[in-house]
Amino acid sequence: MTRIRAGLLCMLAIASGSACSSMGVEPWERDVLAREQMQLVTDPLEAGIDDHIYFSKEASSGGRGFGGGGCGCN
Amino acid sequence: MASPCQVLSRADRSIAQKQLELAAAEAWRIEAKYSRYLRGNIVDRINSALGNAVSLDEETANLVDFTATLYELSAGRFDITSGVLREVWTFDGSDRIPAEKRVAAVLDRVGWHKALWQRPLLSLAPGMQVDFGGVGKEYAADRAAALAASQSDAPCLVNFGGDIVAAAATVDEASWRVGIESLSAGAGEACKRIDLQRGGLATSGDARRFLLRNGVRYGHLLNPLTGWPVVNAPRSVTVAADTCTQAGMLSTLAMLMGADAEKFLESQSVRNWCIR
Amino acid sequence: MAVTDGSPGRRAPANGASAQIASQLAVATCSLLGIAASSLVLAEEQPEWEFDTALLYYGEDGERVQDLSLNILARRLFADDRILSIGLAVDSLTGASPNGAVPQDEPQTFTRPSGDSVYAVAAGEFPLDDTFLDTRYALTASWQQPLGRDFAGTAGVSFSTEYDYTHAGANFALSRDFNKRNTTVSLGLAIARDELDTVGGAPVPLSPMAGVGDLSGRAGSESKDVLDVLLGVTQVISEKFVVQLNYSLSDSSGYLNDPYKILSVVDPLSGGPVDRLLLPGAEGPLHEYRFESRPDKRTKHSLFGQGKYFVEGKVLDVSYRYMTDDWGIDSHTLESKLNWPLSDSTFIEPHIRFYTQSEADFYRVSLLDGEPVPQFASADYRLGNFDSLTAGLKYGWRTGGGNDFAMRLEYYRQDGEVPEDQLIGNQDQSSLYPDLDAIIFNFSFGFDF
Repeated sequence: MTRIRAGLLCMLAIASGSACSSMGVEPWERDVLAREQMQLVTDPLEAGIDDHIYFSKEASSGGRGFGGGGCGCN
Repeated sequence: MASPCQVLSRADRSIAQKQLELAAAEAWRIEAKYSRYLRGNIVDRINSALGNAVSLDEETANLVDFTATLYELSAGRFDITSGVLREVWTFDGSDRIPAEKRVAAVLDRVGWHKALWQRPLLSLAPGMQVDFGGVGKEYAADRAAALAASQSDAPCLVNFGGDIVAAAATVDEASWRVGIESLSAGAGEACKRIDLQRGGLATSGDARRFLLRNGVRYGHLLNPLTGWPVVNAPRSVTVAADTCTQAGMLSTLAMLMGADAEKFLESQSVRNWCIR
Repeated sequence: MAVTDGSPGRRAPANGASAQIASQLAVATCSLLGIAASSLVLAEEQPEWEFDTALLYYGEDGERVQDLSLNILARRLFADDRILSIGLAVDSLTGASPNGAVPQDEPQTFTRPSGDSVYAVAAGEFPLDDTFLDTRYALTASWQQPLGRDFAGTAGVSFSTEYDYTHAGANFALSRDFNKRNTTVSLGLAIARDELDTVGGAPVPLSPMAGVGDLSGRAGSESKDVLDVLLGVTQVISEKFVVQLNYSLSDSSGYLNDPYKILSVVDPLSGGPVDRLLLPGAEGPLHEYRFESRPDKRTKHSLFGQGKYFVEGKVLDVSYRYMTDDWGIDSHTLESKLNWPLSDSTFIEPHIRFYTQSEADFYRVSLLDGEPVPQFASADYRLGNFDSLTAGLKYGWRTGGGNDFAMRLEYYRQDGEVPEDQLIGNQDQSSLYPDLDAIIFNFSFGFDF
């Protein structure tokens, strides 16, 4: 549990740090970020398919979003 | 022009820099030449000629020819002498509507047919003023885009405060994504998105300048024939055409048609988006 | 105050409002700008509907699982950034899965889950249960919209059904932008209720595998509830670099066993099978096996980080996930993709994924004859100690009409080993673990209108 706590604190630090800092770009500098390949999930269908495969074959799921689930995969 | 202007280019950095410089120089040149706020430029000379004829340079003569044609095509609704109506109308969001008498008095000094235009000589009746604001920005956008496009085959886009030209694109190139500002969600939010690959895009609207009285909203576009704001015009009209000048004129004409804006644009077979 | 448009008495020029104002305007503009006329105007409103479809083939080697599925995702964009998404998936599953028993030097026989018949496995073979020919249908729907200036919300439902399992769930998410949209914080919640209607009835945990026709050790249908919470931060670092960090919590309770998985009961000295009493004329297992038993609660914590970096037209995506749960499983996932455009309309994307997990506390490769039966035990290879590797390549192209195609081929391999302290005699750590080799082939097609 302490490892999780450390990870959470680290995340909060980054979140609050970044909210206060001026890290980032101006709205007119977002041309690259607006590209399809720069989205965090480029292909939601492919991500869903892969999540489902790994959910059926491994003990971990999700992380990126709500990991699939909901199947009686044996 | 009092609007943020930008040049987007897919060319290399050094070429893009040159494109930006050419576009900006052209924008400033046109603004200096046709701004009604500057002393000594051609507009100032025409407006202070006190009935005498002024000889116009080629570019200005072309613009006057163009706006004269527009006056005919629009049956008088597009009129570069209508600027004096500004003296009685201030669109500041308040409810101060001028009295009919005052409007009628100013209206006497409005009317392109009262001007004498025989290229290259233009003379106005006393009290009349010309204003190229209705066509200046779109014209500048087209000129700037042509200069930028002359530097490279890569697609580029010029955006002068909402008057947009996308140049040098082939069908396969990725589009520029343009957002039409939403009227309700506040500045910066788009309510419609248009993929523009080539052509001009212009928007006429009353989002920022208007009067509000007794629940009736008066847009800032004045009908030169009546002296009053156009009734029942859409809140915003966006048109896509070959050039920004055409797009701008069509969107302005549509707004001037009031309730018939959509029908007018339908009949012209142009891509358009009206928000009521 | 009356406002009218167009008043009599004012002299207006001849009516020019004919239908061809646009063309006359075009002529006038051309002479103004000194250019030739062109009618090429390419301006289209963003399409309303976007469709993504994918055909997937997943095939494990040997006689193991093969899956063919068709997936469709339809998105309808409304004004003001509101989006409706609907997803449909149909999976057709065939092939056999390891049932949890260990391979032995003699043939083994097992009763099918239905209790109607038996199936046999040759000596030295990994016992696989090939009962599962199943088709699964899944439906998801979600609605996304801005809430005020800075917030956005999503609400969705999910549903799936196969012959022995149904799932129903709902999910919600709220996100807020800060810092000129450079920072986004999201909070998500998902709940689900799954029902298992196991063939023959869910077995009583740790009950012995019975003979044909004997369903005494079976209960009825079971259910499980899942709650997922996700907290995430997305941050734009620079014009070319964006990162995301997520923490998620998943809480399951209810029937968490795999009703078809068993454990072998083996001799503590030799590791060999323990004979089971089989009356003449009766059909059933030749040896002793027990159904698995897992706790009825599981809490998982995950920490996930992802970064996307744009460099010279290519996009590098690297992500890492750490998962730990109260079953004693820890896992690490490291994944990377490189999106590499070959031209304006084609790209390739190599992909690599490393995964490792430690076994669950109650993972047992087999039960020992004579020892007291533990409270929880499972030999399911998916709860064991293994590493896996995925390596693949995707090739995509966009046609002139704006349609997207892609093909993806991947190789997935799992390599596991049994904990040393569970080995008996000369048993080998990895030969007791059913390794997995699979090919994934995916063909996708996307279009909008």
